[in-house]
Amino acid sequence: MTDLLPTASPTQTRAEARAVLRPQRGLVVATLATLVVGTVLGLVGPRVLGHMIDLVLHGGTTTALAVSAGVLLLASLGQALFTGAGSALMARLGQTAVASVRERVVDRALRVPSPELERTGSGDLVARVSGDVESVNDAVSGVFPTLVEAALLVALTLVALLVLDWRFAVAGLLAVPLQAVALRWFLRTVVPVTHAERIAEGARAQQILDSVDGADTVRAHCASDEHVARIAARSDDARVLSIRLAAVQRRFFGKLNYGEVVGLCAILAVGYVLVGNGSATVGAASAAALYFHRLFDPFNQLLGLFDDAQTAGAAFARLVGVAAMPERPAPAEGPRPEAGSVGIAAREVSFRYSDDGPDVLRDVDLVVEPGKRVAVVGTTGAGKTTLVGLVAGLHRTDRGAIRLGGVAVDDLGPRTLRRTAAVVSQETHVFAGTLADDLRLAAPDADDDELLAALERVGAGEWVASLPEGLETRVGKGGRPVDAARAEQLALARLVLGDPPVALLDEATAEAGSTGARVLEASADAALHGRTALVVAHRLTQAATADRVVVLDAGRVVEHGTHADLLAAGGRYAHLWQAWSAAHDRPAPPSPTSPEDR
Amino acid sequence: MTAGRTTTRGAGADAERPGVLPDDPSPGSPPAAHGLVIDGRPLPALDAPDARGVLRRAVRGQARFVVPASVFAMVHQACEAAVPVLIGITVDRAIAQHSLPSLLVTLGAMVVLFLVLTSSMRAGGRLVRRATQGAGHEMRVRVASRVLDPRGTEPGTVKTGELLSTATSDAQRVGMVNAAVWTAAGAAAALVVGAALLVQASVLLGLVVILGLVPVSLLTTLISRPLVRRSAVEQAAAARAAGTATDFLAGLRVLKGLGAEAVAAARYAAASATSRDAAIRAAVVIALRTAVVTALTGLFLAVVAFLGARLALTGQISVGEFISALGLTQFLLGPFTRIAAVGAQIARARASAGRIADVLAAPAAVPAGGVFSLPPGPLALEVHGVGGRLDLVVLAGERVGIVVSDAESRAAVETLLTCLAREADPERGTIRLGGVDLDDVDPVAARERLLVAHHDAVLFTGTLAENLGLGVPGLDEAAVRRAVRAADADQVAEVVPGGYDAVLTERGRSLSGGQRQRVALARALAADTDVLVLADPTTGVDGVTEALIAERVAALRAGRTTLTVTRSPALLAGTDRVVVISGGRVRAEGTHAELAGIDAAYRELVLR
Repeated sequence: MTDLLPTASPTQTRAEARAVLRPQRGLVVATLATLVVGTVLGLVGPRVLGHMIDLVLHGGTTTALAVSAGVLLLASLGQALFTGAGSALMARLGQTAVASVRERVVDRALRVPSPELERTGSGDLVARVSGDVESVNDAVSGVFPTLVEAALLVALTLVALLVLDWRFAVAGLLAVPLQAVALRWFLRTVVPVTHAERIAEGARAQQILDSVDGADTVRAHCASDEHVARIAARSDDARVLSIRLAAVQRRFFGKLNYGEVVGLCAILAVGYVLVGNGSATVGAASAAALYFHRLFDPFNQLLGLFDDAQTAGAAFARLVGVAAMPERPAPAEGPRPEAGSVGIAAREVSFRYSDDGPDVLRDVDLVVEPGKRVAVVGTTGAGKTTLVGLVAGLHRTDRGAIRLGGVAVDDLGPRTLRRTAAVVSQETHVFAGTLADDLRLAAPDADDDELLAALERVGAGEWVASLPEGLETRVGKGGRPVDAARAEQLALARLVLGDPPVALLDEATAEAGSTGARVLEASADAALHGRTALVVAHRLTQAATADRVVVLDAGRVVEHGTHADLLAAGGRYAHLWQAWSAAHDRPAPPSPTSPEDR
Repeated sequence: MTAGRTTTRGAGADAERPGVLPDDPSPGSPPAAHGLVIDGRPLPALDAPDARGVLRRAVRGQARFVVPASVFAMVHQACEAAVPVLIGITVDRAIAQHSLPSLLVTLGAMVVLFLVLTSSMRAGGRLVRRATQGAGHEMRVRVASRVLDPRGTEPGTVKTGELLSTATSDAQRVGMVNAAVWTAAGAAAALVVGAALLVQASVLLGLVVILGLVPVSLLTTLISRPLVRRSAVEQAAAARAAGTATDFLAGLRVLKGLGAEAVAAARYAAASATSRDAAIRAAVVIALRTAVVTALTGLFLAVVAFLGARLALTGQISVGEFISALGLTQFLLGPFTRIAAVGAQIARARASAGRIADVLAAPAAVPAGGVFSLPPGPLALEVHGVGGRLDLVVLAGERVGIVVSDAESRAAVETLLTCLAREADPERGTIRLGGVDLDDVDPVAARERLLVAHHDAVLFTGTLAENLGLGVPGLDEAAVRRAVRAADADQVAEVVPGGYDAVLTERGRSLSGGQRQRVALARALAADTDVLVLADPTTGVDGVTEALIAERVAALRAGRTTLTVTRSPALLAGTDRVVVISGGRVRAEGTHAELAGIDAAYRELVLR
């Protein structure tokens, strides 16, 4: 998938992180202060233990030992209290910040203009609001707090060593160049392997979905062995990469061990010298060694998580990239089409998707009088869908103008536009959630009776009544399966609920199988009743029942008129009709004025 | 899966296929994974088709990796336990007594210790990954081969929606049982070595530490319980929010058509806020747990420090042993909690193993059948009483159109198609193919001669050419090209960027519905089976193209047994005979022209 959506620059990303934290500045300070106090209290332990060693060596009293043990206990209680409070505060801070970012990203993603969406596809957007958001979420509840706490511990331990004797700190720091080299090697090596592993796991999931969802087809084509082999091959790729990744990680931790042993030996050697010349006690030397030994785990954590932190940082930069995308300035919600019925008028409209691309539409004139239904007919690629997109204001015309109820589409504010003209697109999608949730997308304030009435009108009343949970039935992904025809009826019910004066129908009945198509035509008829409608007709019966027919060919209007007129004219439409019906001795064509409710 | 079966249709339809399922389970018993091969090794059958059997196999199958990995883990953990002890000895012998030779010896020992520690850590870590991944891979292949087995799975026994997670996460978690073994081995070694070192210094101190560790680690585990629950709640809320967002994006064009972007954004914001609150609550629980563990550990350490210092003061232990005891106390908390975590890890693996076992043990939809070859040449089809009362005879080489007029008939025809595809056997009635009871024919043998192509058949990830069967060995290239042209799929190749080399993603979603249907039709025609069943093959295709396809398909399938379920007059006109089914039985038959001429109900059905 080509990554066409923007990714924020490091400067932009940092600015965004600051901007997100700014309103919570007080909380940031409180969190850091609490964590520092907790960490410092944790560092009391080895120091007190060192003191106890000195007491033992120099004949201290049991009371003195008991006092030390008491201090040890109090310090760890304090440490528990403060680090606990600190991490709770950090969670509040991080989760609030990340929630505000992801909400802005999704909001922005939902408002991506149609042309951009057509160009980039929704794949990248989906990857960002699912994968990247998840990656950042996980970082905020896992990697990030661990990193902060480990970094504080490492930094403050160094201070504690300095306080003991600056030479202990220097000895401990001997480990740093080794660790730095190890980290550099690790980051350089692990990034491509991790990346490759994720891709391999994606390919594996894709292949499993592919073969398993199509199991019937696989069996029908006797391709079981081949598909098992494909899954095995993808799974093996991921396995090999995971093993390679483990080798890299283990090697890295091995390299860190070298730093540990060098630092530890150096501290013990410094202890030997300092105790020898009397500038430190045995207790202090022990405390230094204990400090360093206790640092092993957090330090490994800190370095081991670097890679995850980088990944999360990259994900965050992609999120900021989406959140910061410039918005197309929307016209103010100014002019409104006159009340009542609204007509469509297109004059000399031309359009191309890209500047160097071919004209998809050329000098198209189209008038749909208020309350009338016009069918657009043409072969694939004739420009039918594009015409609907232009009337809907999803694209902007290059030349010419389209007016809804006398107002140019481009001048209508987005809300007025959709209250005036709604589109039922080629794609049907049943949204995950309850049936009521799905329908209320079109009319958030509709009550259950209105929802049921809309379903009844499009012929789905019986179906919903047959559902045990009725409107509360969960549909869409993870819910009750809804077949293509029902999904189409739901789309039409949403149209009824949104109740716009203009309806734009794009190939709504194409994919339902022949029986379904007949039912859906009735549903569409009911949903369109009383509306001005532009209908893309794939089945010519839809054209035959329209008030007028417009025939598009290669972006131009080649014929227009009533079904009967066009048949009589014997032109392109008549040819299409003949080819479509293809009956050798077909009876008289259906009457152009449809009998029922129109 | 069977060994040595031909995977593509071709000239060898009647060739003898060796090794087809020597076991012959009746329907209801699961097919055994015969001839399943991984890495050149044949896979044995599971000794029990349940969670235990799956888990046992996951470990036993990886014995050559997990056993040495565990040995390395034990060495590594023993070394880790020795580090604080060696620090104590260094302080005691070298620093406190200021002895340079002792310092050199102890530091030398420290370097050697770290070398052993780091090598065993690396070796063990790499080996255990081999074991976890190897077992996961094996389970994944077992699941895939069971799901795709030619005999199918009895409806309702396998949840298709969960198969992806069964084949990925569950397989992975079952593989992780090897990591649990490895962890447990290391932790046990650490405990034994640590305890021995402590007791050797002072029996009293050793007992206090070991006996104290038990309640401390038990408490730690206990207070982790609500944590698991909280984090499950948190994950569910996060997944719900993510699901809401991706679902809205998947239907973004629909949302835009409705102008419902703001409503959708508000719904996402609500889901996101719920997820945020759940995450904060989970984090607070984690913080609370960390605080309690820190306090408990502090208390424990203070007790050990006081006791140890007293013992050192009275000379019962050396200062070095005191330092070792402090270091070991802290160190041993790790293995104790890890052992407790192993239990949870195995419980998770067992739950996953149960789901995998359920899939592997899913009963077959149809029996293996004993007939492996059907008579050569065109085949006739006789249907008696299927779906109650559907009787139908299709002569060898005849092209028959089926028009369904009501819901009952549609159900009967659906049943017929399912049975013809050998996805199920008829509950009532019989189907004979080439004079042989279809129930008795091996499913693969049947499908090599009879293909049922549904109107919503999926395409597969791969190039357009691969999906069409172009360049597949065993298929006649020229014949495939003819099929592609008949379905007008060559036009698809012309308009799709990349042509025949265009990669179809997500089961062909990159194509429009009509394009997908034409490619699927071409693939069905290219399979060139003696009997072809087409169900609503052109519902997504525009009228002009449909007429073109109808004409070419009729020519291509002339003299070949072909059954077409449709209401398209163009397709019906290209058949030798049309059968109208009403109330689940044949109501009228004749050529399309005859029926259209005399039968008003038929005209209403197909011509409107």
